[in-house]
Amino acid sequence: MTPLLSVTDLRIDITHGAARAVLAGVSFDVAPGDTVGIVGASGGGKTSLALALIGLLPPGLRASGRVAFEGRDVLSLDDRARRDLRGRRLSMVFQEPFTALNPRQRVGAQVAEMATAHGQRDARRALRDAVTMLGRVGLAEPDERARRLPHQLSGGERQRVLLAMALLLEPALLIADEPTSALDVTVQGQVLELLREQQREIGMALLLVSHDLGVVAGTCRRTLVMHEGRIVEDAPTRQVFTAPRHPLTTALVGAVSRIGARA
Amino acid sequence: MAARTWRRLLDDRPARAAAAVLACASLAALLAPWISGYDPTLQPDPVTLRLVPPSWQHLMGTDPYSRDVLSRLLHGARVSLGVAAGSMLLAATLGTALGALAAVVGGWVDSFVSGLVDVLIAVPRLLIVVALVATFGALSPWWLVVLLGGTGWLTTARIVRAELRDNLQREYVLAARALGATKWRITWQHLLPAVAPQVAVAAALALAAVVPLEAALSFVGLGVQPPLPSWGNILLDGADYLTSAWWLVVFPVTAITCTVGAALVLADRLRAAIAGEEQAS
Amino acid sequence: MTRLILTRLLQAAAVCAVVATSVFVLLQYAPGDPFAASLDGTDVPPSVRAEWRARYGFDLPPTERFTRWAGALAHGQLGYAPSQHRAVSAVLADAIPRTLLLVGVALALGFALGVLIGLLQARHRGRWPDRAIGALTLGGVAMPEFLLGLLAMTWLGARWRLFPVAGLVSEGDVAAWPMWERLFDHLWHLALPAGVLAISVAARVARHQRAALLGVLSEDFIRTARSKGLGEWAVLWRHALPNAIGPVLALLGLALPSLVGGAVLIEKIFGWPGMGLTLFDALLARDYPLILAATLLATLMAVVARTLTDIVAELVAPRRVRTS
Repeated sequence: MTPLLSVTDLRIDITHGAARAVLAGVSFDVAPGDTVGIVGASGGGKTSLALALIGLLPPGLRASGRVAFEGRDVLSLDDRARRDLRGRRLSMVFQEPFTALNPRQRVGAQVAEMATAHGQRDARRALRDAVTMLGRVGLAEPDERARRLPHQLSGGERQRVLLAMALLLEPALLIADEPTSALDVTVQGQVLELLREQQREIGMALLLVSHDLGVVAGTCRRTLVMHEGRIVEDAPTRQVFTAPRHPLTTALVGAVSRIGARA
Repeated sequence: MAARTWRRLLDDRPARAAAAVLACASLAALLAPWISGYDPTLQPDPVTLRLVPPSWQHLMGTDPYSRDVLSRLLHGARVSLGVAAGSMLLAATLGTALGALAAVVGGWVDSFVSGLVDVLIAVPRLLIVVALVATFGALSPWWLVVLLGGTGWLTTARIVRAELRDNLQREYVLAARALGATKWRITWQHLLPAVAPQVAVAAALALAAVVPLEAALSFVGLGVQPPLPSWGNILLDGADYLTSAWWLVVFPVTAITCTVGAALVLADRLRAAIAGEEQAS
Repeated sequence: MTRLILTRLLQAAAVCAVVATSVFVLLQYAPGDPFAASLDGTDVPPSVRAEWRARYGFDLPPTERFTRWAGALAHGQLGYAPSQHRAVSAVLADAIPRTLLLVGVALALGFALGVLIGLLQARHRGRWPDRAIGALTLGGVAMPEFLLGLLAMTWLGARWRLFPVAGLVSEGDVAAWPMWERLFDHLWHLALPAGVLAISVAARVARHQRAALLGVLSEDFIRTARSKGLGEWAVLWRHALPNAIGPVLALLGLALPSLVGGAVLIEKIFGWPGMGLTLFDALLARDYPLILAATLLATLMAVVARTLTDIVAELVAPRRVRTS
């Protein structure tokens, strides 16, 4: 089966100076429907990797290499083609649920915009679909919540809004960058279960970036360990946790208590 | 930190360019009596030398009274920039003093000064100045400096008060006070030098505001009185001939616009330098 | 919101009180009075002048004159304007709407234009269109309005005769013209003065708007908008602008006093018979009742305009949303 995502020697450099590359040549594959976790210490390049895949690196960073998504090299696509992919086939959920939402726009409209940005002309239908999606991600009273502004929702509710936004068009691959780090433990579990459900329903692949090993251990079939811009381990999750090959992985795994992690 | 801010500014190219423009203008103004070829107030030949377009003998042409425009512009720079610089210094001093007073003494003094600033800032400055000038009659440039400086200290006072109040709460100040230093001493020795860059921003903006104000006043006859030249009244003299004698307009307008533009750029870059320094520390 | 309005109203009242008192005090030091024989040169006998003085209270001590004047003010009586041979209220009733029209049109046009220019700059940030426009806006801010007006009047008006150089309406029996022609003529006369002021406003607004937009563009929710596949213009228009326009409105309010000052000069240059021109002529004619009332009202207008802008800014961009 051809991989959904095939990354070959992806490098991220700072455009002006700085000797060390942010990402020094990364290669891995993601099969359709797969769940892959990316872990590592902060500053290891995880978020930059995620941003590079969707083409949203901040100005000042440049990506090179090959990122084949559904057969096409994302890095060499023109702007319009990339925008078409975003949200429709390839979606991302960001870290900070509060700052990631427009403070002045109602959340329902923000979710619906995902549809209208991809050709849905009927605004009312888009809003209805958005509200339905908000319900499916577990938001109570989605109709009423959809009319609220981000600051009128709790952290967990905001994260669900971001999820609804990312899942609305049933993308083939969802990149989730620390989707649970801003949430408390009970909500964490709910959000992860939600992601698993979506995967089962639409066969979506999930790339889960997290510094929380417990989250990754419980969700991902495969795990990549990153350190200083390189992948140091790429193996089934169970193996990473029970028989790590790289000394850094050992250090990482050993440093975390395994309460709640399914081994 | 203030020292580093100045250094940051020196490295900044637009700031250097702007400073160079202002330096040139000031230099031209200072050296005017020596570098202008003609007497700015003499009317040598009102018949034949009237309204001569720019030529090799008169690089900027002559005005309706046969006076060389370039010479008048240079001497006018003396007056206009002199008034501007004077009032800017006065405004900066007054603003810093009153802002410091409000911040350090606090209490009802603070309420009074702040209230006064809030009220005065809502009144169009031009109206105040015009009203005063029209009442007391034409003023000498010295009185103009007092008038313009006396109406331009408001934003500086606000900035200084805000910065000082902020800093007076900081731990190192409280510690120094616990050791016996008075608020005034701390303010004078440490806080005021630290707030100097922001005062410089306000001063640059004050300069950018006062040059057009003086020019406007002189243009309507309420500012610098002829035959003493100022950039504003050069325009006034040529007012009736503006359609035919373009040189009477273009040169003073360019002079004013360039000066104000340079002051604005300087203020902008200084603000950026302050922000940059804050981010770095 | 109500607290904001109340505070502003109180401030406005305080400002007016201070200005009124100050102007009144000033005029006590001014030489002469409006009934001096030197002023109108007609053969009005001294006894009649004395009677006028008495009627308008010029022979009373200053404090009494002030309370009298303040009292009359409270009743809406503003006195008589000798230089115009009409009641002050009549003069101002004519002048105020004209200034409001001028400043209103200039503000609206200038603001809209400035926002669009700022947007354009943000769209092409860092590239040459941004820099070129930036140089133009710097020039627009650096050049004083009265100079811009002078240039416009000289070239567009006098030289190329595209626009009239002065006045409210053309000469001739304008009242007899059909409505459309009158309206057009009026607009034609308004075009240059309002246009010049609008350019000045637009330059300032554009600079602030560009800075505000660039500030917002680095925020996280912009990245989220882009991740939805939105194009650059959609991101700017629907996400960046609503969050960047609030501070610009607030800054506009702060710049209003100087805008009113600029309008006064523009009125003088273009002969637009509004508050500014009235004030100037009154000053030259030493028409004190008119000077007092005009200064007071001009200040009041500036304060009211600032309050309105603050209120609009609060409505469009409520502070509680911004700071949470």
